[in-house]
Amino acid sequence: MSLAVKPHYPDYSNAPIQRSFNPYADNGGSVVAIAGDDFVIIGADTRLSAGFSIYTREQNKLFQLSPTTVLGCSGCWCDTLTLTRILNSRMQMYQQEHNKIMSTEACAQMLSTMLYYKRFFPYYISNVLVGLDNNGKGCVYSYDPIGHCEKATYRAGGSAGALLQPLLDNQIGQKNMLNVKQESVSQEKALSIIKDVFISAAERDIYTGDSIQIKIITKEGIKEEKFELRKD
Amino acid sequence: MFLTRSEYDRGVNTFSPEGRLFQVEYAIEAIKLGSTAIGICTSEGVVLAVEKRITSPLMEPTTIEKIVEVDKHIGCAVSGLMADSRTMIDRARVECQNHWFVYNENMSVESCAQAVSNLAIQFGDSDDGAAMSRPFGVAILFAGIDEKGPQLYHMDPSGTFVQFDAKAIGSGSEGAQQSLQEVYHRSMTLEEATISALTILKQVMEEKLNSSNVEVMTMTPGNLFHMFTKEQVEEALRNVCPVEHPLALNVSKQRV
Amino acid sequence: MSVLCPDIPAPGFSFENCRRNVMLENKGLALPKATKTGTTIVGIIYKDGVILGADTRATEDTTVADKNCEKIHYLAPNMYCCGAGTAADTEMTTQMISSQLELHRLYTNRVVRVATANQMLKQFLFRYQGYIGAALVLGGVDSTAMAVFESRWKPDMEEAEGVQLVRDAIAAGIFNDLGSGSNVDVCIIRKGAVDYRRTYDEANKKGQKQNSYKYPKGTTAVLTTKVVDIEEVVVKRFESEEMDTA
Repeated sequence: MSLAVKPHYPDYSNAPIQRSFNPYADNGGSVVAIAGDDFVIIGADTRLSAGFSIYTREQNKLFQLSPTTVLGCSGCWCDTLTLTRILNSRMQMYQQEHNKIMSTEACAQMLSTMLYYKRFFPYYISNVLVGLDNNGKGCVYSYDPIGHCEKATYRAGGSAGALLQPLLDNQIGQKNMLNVKQESVSQEKALSIIKDVFISAAERDIYTGDSIQIKIITKEGIKEEKFELRKD
Repeated sequence: MFLTRSEYDRGVNTFSPEGRLFQVEYAIEAIKLGSTAIGICTSEGVVLAVEKRITSPLMEPTTIEKIVEVDKHIGCAVSGLMADSRTMIDRARVECQNHWFVYNENMSVESCAQAVSNLAIQFGDSDDGAAMSRPFGVAILFAGIDEKGPQLYHMDPSGTFVQFDAKAIGSGSEGAQQSLQEVYHRSMTLEEATISALTILKQVMEEKLNSSNVEVMTMTPGNLFHMFTKEQVEEALRNVCPVEHPLALNVSKQRV
Repeated sequence: MSVLCPDIPAPGFSFENCRRNVMLENKGLALPKATKTGTTIVGIIYKDGVILGADTRATEDTTVADKNCEKIHYLAPNMYCCGAGTAADTEMTTQMISSQLELHRLYTNRVVRVATANQMLKQFLFRYQGYIGAALVLGGVDSTAMAVFESRWKPDMEEAEGVQLVRDAIAAGIFNDLGSGSNVDVCIIRKGAVDYRRTYDEANKKGQKQNSYKYPKGTTAVLTTKVVDIEEVVVKRFESEEMDTA
């Protein structure tokens, strides 16, 4: 008689067996967005990972939905793929049905209803939607996985979201400071802060790194930038 | 001709050899039995005025509703089979609410008409129970305000919908449409439009106009859907030309 | 297991041992938890001795706790030891063994042997039945670093060649394993000489910040102020007395 674990033959066993399947994966990634009076900037790192491994160092997580609207996704990558495909088709259907391009506000509401539609089997994604509103003002909408939507002027989401949000609260929201002027953030300042906070996130969050993809949305169009981060 | 018709007007979705759907055409004819409704679109807003047929003095006139609110920014005037119109108005309301729910914005008047049109053509012989077995016997005027400003759309039982500056439906529509063409001009104020609508209604109605046999609604960017009260209708009627030819006030110079 | 009767792994969760475990737990036995070390440590033998290597990242779940920690620990003048696992355990274990080795050296008046250290570590860790989460020396090698050795290690390597191999193995861990990161530490142990090269390779440089995050004076709110007078201190000087030599 050996001490080794007895082999298990399901067909000959009466022992109760719990079957389990976990349909979700956490592929990490962070998204940061800052809105100004006439622009909005969104950045997302390009690392796609699982557990302690890196799948790829160059995965774009920003999705352009319209000429003035961009969505940043992090979390379960397969859910992101499905959600963004459905979103794109809904954007196209809306344009064909109503003869106009969906506004950022309408898109924000639609995303909320689409997420809540899967209330009991949610898309495991942390979404940040940015764009220009009908008056050309920058706006940021952030979501929880089941569709709660919050309008803001800046937001950090994803694996380093909890790390970066207090930094943005202080640097953009000018929270917890005395003797500061409340003024709207300039495009150059917003861009440099996004780069700086990602540098900090890459220092401490193992799921954030490699590089960031940045989109700058103004009424002139969308500019794209890439910025390198540490790769360990 | 009659024989040809009797063969091809049984199935609601069967084309005649001349390429016609008789049941749909009959439904359009049915509108011409309905009460008259007039809509005029101006740069200030849209006005709808309809006739209510009080067939008995024992009838309660307020229970006849021919102008209804679909959403705060869209109102409809209907003519034809009132029971059918309820189904279509319900659809319009549901679509507007759904659009607001999903997109957090007002549905455009055109999209609303499109949505109701989708319902209007869902008739057929199938037994699925969901669809209507015959075309709806209703014509609708959609008056609304959206990002393009004040808008007026007309839809007939075939589901065809067209934008109009001014449109009349119902039994008096032919004469009223002719009159509308004569009085309408681009710089019309909403007040002028209201007077013209009532004047033309008076022209085509058999009954004498009063505050219980006519309904008036205005749709303006400021007040959106506004149904005239009994007092407001009376006030509006006082401005309607009392002379026998109702257009005398507006077109007298042309009639020399 | 024969081919005709293959071992079928149990699917899902087996409840077989639940009652036994509950009974054991009620008797006060807490079941141990497995820990993924998330560290890259390596060691190779070359012509004249041994080369150890380690990354310098310490993690707490998914957060980097220390960006430049030391994982190559001193045991004796001729001996170093890499540690992976619970940081405190590797630190304390190596320190305790190190002091015992020093006592042993003084007692025997000989250079202590690596076999001695190995035996002492084994006995120490076994005594704690796995509750001390230290995977020492080469216990916690990760597969990415091992792959580098599999392809390039050969017997009797030159020192420069060996150091390069160790660096590359650690770098593989740093870049491809999210639990490892920052810099490469290398420790070369030759007969009679140890060359500990802390931060042998700075594999990752911190990004250059574009803004200044200095706060001007008066930015932080002062909630309450309380002034306490310090009692006046009087310094008295005593002239030293002459020794009585009378």
